Amino acid sequence: MFVMIKRFNELSFVIGLFFFILSLILLAGYLFSIQLADTLNLYTGIALSVFGVLMMIVKSNDDK
Amino acid sequence: MKLHFADYLIISVYFLFVIGVGFIIKKRIKSSNDFLNSNRSIPLWITSLAFISANLGAQEVLGMVASGAKYGIMTVHFYWVGAIFAMVFLGVFMMPFYYGSRARSVPEYLSLRFDEKTRGLNAISFAVMTVFSSGISLYALAKLLEVILHWDFDVSIAIAAGIVMIYTFLGGLTSAVYNEVLQFFLIVLGLSPLVIVALHDAGGWQNIKAQLSPEMTHAWKYMGDTKSNPMGLHFMSLIFGLGFVMSFGYWCTDFLVVQRAMIAKNMNAAQRTPIIAAIPKMFMPVIVVLPGIIAIALMQPALASKGFQIPTNSNGQLDYTMTLPSLIAHYYPTGLLGVGITALIASFMSGMAGNVTAFNSVFTYDIYQSYFVKNRSDKHYLMVGKMATVFGILFSIITAYIAKSFNNINDFLQLVFSFVNGPLFATFLLGMFWKRTTGHGAFWGLLAGTAAAALTHGLTVAEGKGGWIANVYEVRSGMGQAFIVAGISWTANFVTTILVSLATKPKPEMELKGLVYSLTDKPVYHQNKWYLKIVPLSIILIIITILLNILFF
Repeated sequence: MFVMIKRFNELSFVIGLFFFILSLILLAGYLFSIQLADTLNLYTGIALSVFGVLMMIVKSNDDK
Repeated sequence: MKLHFADYLIISVYFLFVIGVGFIIKKRIKSSNDFLNSNRSIPLWITSLAFISANLGAQEVLGMVASGAKYGIMTVHFYWVGAIFAMVFLGVFMMPFYYGSRARSVPEYLSLRFDEKTRGLNAISFAVMTVFSSGISLYALAKLLEVILHWDFDVSIAIAAGIVMIYTFLGGLTSAVYNEVLQFFLIVLGLSPLVIVALHDAGGWQNIKAQLSPEMTHAWKYMGDTKSNPMGLHFMSLIFGLGFVMSFGYWCTDFLVVQRAMIAKNMNAAQRTPIIAAIPKMFMPVIVVLPGIIAIALMQPALASKGFQIPTNSNGQLDYTMTLPSLIAHYYPTGLLGVGITALIASFMSGMAGNVTAFNSVFTYDIYQSYFVKNRSDKHYLMVGKMATVFGILFSIITAYIAKSFNNINDFLQLVFSFVNGPLFATFLLGMFWKRTTGHGAFWGLLAGTAAAALTHGLTVAEGKGGWIANVYEVRSGMGQAFIVAGISWTANFVTTILVSLATKPKPEMELKGLVYSLTDKPVYHQNKWYLKIVPLSIILIIITILLNILFF
């Protein structure tokens, strides 16, 4: 948990988390809401989640 | 266009994150240098993306999509002629002076190289321009949200200005820069699905080419004659006006963008910042020009069944500014619509924050500390920097309401900015590469350039604008007129600076070390990898840019 909080100091982690949350909204909406049941939301949600996870796991060692 | 809960949720998450970034950065702010200059500690990938993002405000995004629809693929000249070469030049030749002189701002460099009056002229005009630009950005955001989402104008102003104030006040330049990087990804990832879906719907690039007249899909082929292309420009005026004067004037001297490179960790990173930034910049037309071309193609008879239409204004003409919002409304479902709208809001707010953070640096260092209160504690200047942030935003709000009351003030301000910015590059070019250039030469050159710009605009008419002295020469497009104004003002500055410099006494060479090319030791690096070397990387970028121009000739 402490490591997680510490990583909030890294911009790459913050950006990754932001896009991961966006992807969750799109994917959850696609699965559970009629209004959001559009394949464009599904594909974009998947793409954003991949990008978000990659940004979160990448360790930018020059971030302080 | 109507937003639903999911869309509002996405917008709220964005607001939460940008404010959160401000709070995260806040604990790093210990001095005025941290607040106004990020203590020159920002990693290269962040400075590079912030460099390109500082120029990716909503007016740029909406404007380039609109130009794509109006002028077609010729709009890419703003990237492949009017950006890449100047960015490379900045990285290779000019950053060593900006960064190596330890100047904290572009006006401070002018003070070191020339004198206080040249610095004062540049600092005051820049401070006024940034605060007005910030206000126009705020006005444009509120107006757009009022038109497309029917949001209340006052509420939009209050929310946008309030959020920008929170994160810039808390984290200063670092906070603004970090949010610019977030905004960059939001624009690219938020608009990419639109390009893919719309391009697919239009039948791909080959079908678009088949639907549109050839001058809309060829960048250079029809530029030999002003009557043959939609911009009404000859290729020579494009190369000199945009490719040299306007492009180098903006990318190499505007503190708003140069500041992003000046906060890099070291000289090598500062030099590579605009060069690395040139890579995404080169491909940005896919995101901001292509949608405009697709939009026009979708309105052709063969694709009329797609049901897309750019809205018309009160005169019954196509309202090109609404091209991007109408594409978003046409293609994006609830959810993704929130992402698209957030990308637009982000670009407006980021444009505003960029201007405010450049304003507070110039105000604190180049106006307040230089002319009003010298030799006070760092804590004092940190407080002044924070107050300048607050007042910068308050002035922006006032400007936004002035712009609302007097619609033409936007055009007027943009025009005045071009008068001031147009000739600026001549001052830097001579100052950095000709040691004989004097402070008097630079000062009078700048004034002469600005006067020449105003005079040229007053004697030429394009699309009903200009000619307020006399209608001596008619130009086919406003853009062509802008290039002519820039070219003449640059030449007036260049000639005046040389003449006055030759008649006045230059600074001793000892005082010009690190400020003039011939008197400065060239930085030597020992990187083994080619992509870390500045010159090879620059040559590769220039070759790719030339190839892109040939490919879409």
